[in-house]
Amino acid sequence: MDLEKIKNDFPLLNKRIKNKPIVYFDSACMSLKPKPVIEAMNEYYYNYPACAGRSHHQLGEIVTKKIKEARRTVAKFINADEREVIFTRNTTEGINLLANSLNLRSGDLVLTTDKEHNSNLVPWLSMVRKKGIRHMVVKSKVGGLFDIEKYKELVKGAKLVSMVYTSNLDGTTIPAKEVIRIAHENGTLVFLDVAQSVAHQKIDVKKLDVDFIAFSGHKILGPTGTGIFYGKYELLEKLEPFLVGGATVESSIYDGYEMLKAPEKFEAGLQDYAGIIGLGEAVKYLESIGYDNIKEQELKINSYITNELARWPQIKIIGPLDPALRTSIISFYIEGVDMHRISLMLDNMANVMIRSGQHCVHSWFNDKKIFNSARISLYFYNTMDEAKIFVESFDKIMKIM
Amino acid sequence: MICIISLIVFSILGIFSATHRALAKEALDCVFRRVTFRPCNTGFKEKMKSRIIGRLLSKSVFIARIANKHFEIFSWIFFVLMIGSTFWVVKGGYNYYIYGSCNGLNQSGFCAFDPKGENNKVTDINQQCGIEEKTEKNVTLENVDLSTFPTKNVGSKDTVVLIGCYECDYTRKAYSDIQKLVKEKKTNYIFAHYPAKENTNFLSEIGYCVYKDYGDKFWAFNDYLFTVDKVEIYQSEYINTILRNFDFDVKKINDCTQEPETKKLVNDQIVQLRKTHLYGTPTVFINGEGLVGPKPYRVYKSMLNKFIIF
Repeated sequence: MDLEKIKNDFPLLNKRIKNKPIVYFDSACMSLKPKPVIEAMNEYYYNYPACAGRSHHQLGEIVTKKIKEARRTVAKFINADEREVIFTRNTTEGINLLANSLNLRSGDLVLTTDKEHNSNLVPWLSMVRKKGIRHMVVKSKVGGLFDIEKYKELVKGAKLVSMVYTSNLDGTTIPAKEVIRIAHENGTLVFLDVAQSVAHQKIDVKKLDVDFIAFSGHKILGPTGTGIFYGKYELLEKLEPFLVGGATVESSIYDGYEMLKAPEKFEAGLQDYAGIIGLGEAVKYLESIGYDNIKEQELKINSYITNELARWPQIKIIGPLDPALRTSIISFYIEGVDMHRISLMLDNMANVMIRSGQHCVHSWFNDKKIFNSARISLYFYNTMDEAKIFVESFDKIMKIM
Repeated sequence: MICIISLIVFSILGIFSATHRALAKEALDCVFRRVTFRPCNTGFKEKMKSRIIGRLLSKSVFIARIANKHFEIFSWIFFVLMIGSTFWVVKGGYNYYIYGSCNGLNQSGFCAFDPKGENNKVTDINQQCGIEEKTEKNVTLENVDLSTFPTKNVGSKDTVVLIGCYECDYTRKAYSDIQKLVKEKKTNYIFAHYPAKENTNFLSEIGYCVYKDYGDKFWAFNDYLFTVDKVEIYQSEYINTILRNFDFDVKKINDCTQEPETKKLVNDQIVQLRKTHLYGTPTVFINGEGLVGPKPYRVYKSMLNKFIIF
């Protein structure tokens, strides 16, 4: 992997604030955007800012073709059929689509992990209130790993397993293939929130045999406001659309309408064409880097930082200590210390940008009675030099704590 | 404590910058929570502390450690300093408004509102115009006999005494304000010419004779001497023309100035004026309170007003 070339592809990595380089360690929240993505979006606005699928003039045809290409690229990326790829605004919208389209009934059981992002917790809690469904949590083992035995007990009779594949809290990944197999043996559908996974590992929906997945474009080098919801086609056919209106119907009369097939029936209203085109480019860029290279770079830096943090006994890493089990994430806290302070100091000292807080996993923090944590989230464009800047700055902070 | 300091500092900076305005709003929220006995959970304190310590850390770990450890104490110290400096700024502003100097009546130290010290500049009684007086003395009217000087509005409850020099820029600057004050407030007014420059000694004698012979007509003549180009009064020959223009008997006035009695009286006047311990012109006494240097009109007016501006 040519890090110098990569650096040149990302405009932000060549910028400086107060004459110091930017150390961006917050990719789990938002990945940086390479030039091809930005240029593809600009090209839409400059050269063919028209509607897709409606207007049959030359510009409209170009956009229609570009959107089809993007859908094809994404479908190939996750090994799905084009008809199974639905463009959304983000992962949250995808999960809401599922929660509201699945025709859940009172008493239906939905199973989640104990480390769900609010986007895969609140929609189900909302269904508990609205429809009286049941919601149960599979708690992790000590050390943060998935408790498959506990899962086997709880999955019986569940209508849906809705789980985060890779946690944005601690970077741990659940054994998805086994989870799905067990669920299917029980006649249970499985949704995976792959927002944190797809940026770092190959997602093959056919190999996983997963029923539904959702992810966001902004975590895989794509634009904000873009996302993907995938569903097996036969299941999508059975789902009632969550949002209806323009672009979802074949035709309508004053007292009725005829829906389009999937994926169009789920894509109500005018889409973010520039964003979708940018997302297609982001996928292409990601594939050009290759997941092996991504994993190698992330593990190298994660291992280095984990070892350096281990020098300070007061630091507690959330999740397993082995960096290989935490992909790109190092989430840590110090008893009695507001970790916002740490992140703000790093930012002010050396432009080291990490996230602090509860990372939208409030339920886990409230359950564990931990105030908050600091989270370093890496990506392939991060370097060892940046890691050294972090360690040097962090050491200074620890000396005054 | 940092919230209160931040609120004040960012409120001031917020006048000029939207970024600081947002911070001021955050600080206000934090202060409001504190004064209503609720914890400041807005994160503002942490944000400010982290920013400050973060900056210090990039300079010196030692200083950052001290600041981090004793942050609350430092906050209190800065708070007290800020309250103190605010008090002095307000006091300085009050003094400037009332006395024309931040440091108080006739104090010539540095004043941010009057950085050039224009309100305290005087014409030194022994030297030239424009020299700033450094020594501060108590000027007074005690035991000073002003009965031989031109006077008007006798019987008024307020008295204004102007000791000035016809040829001195700072007296000329103050003169019109004093006339305005006397006219507006109808005060008893005594004018004393103190020849800060020797070549205007003869004007004291002429002034005395004009007042003696023509009474209230003196005041128009006096006004003219303070407003006319200084070149016209440098030499005594020019004065004859001026006297003629005012329909005064030039010969009579000139004869009067040559009388030994006049010379003696003018010399006595100088002696009396020196008893005031004046060190420059203009020196103005308003109801006995001395003001040295040309003050803004509001200062003169405030000396007569019971409630500063009314």
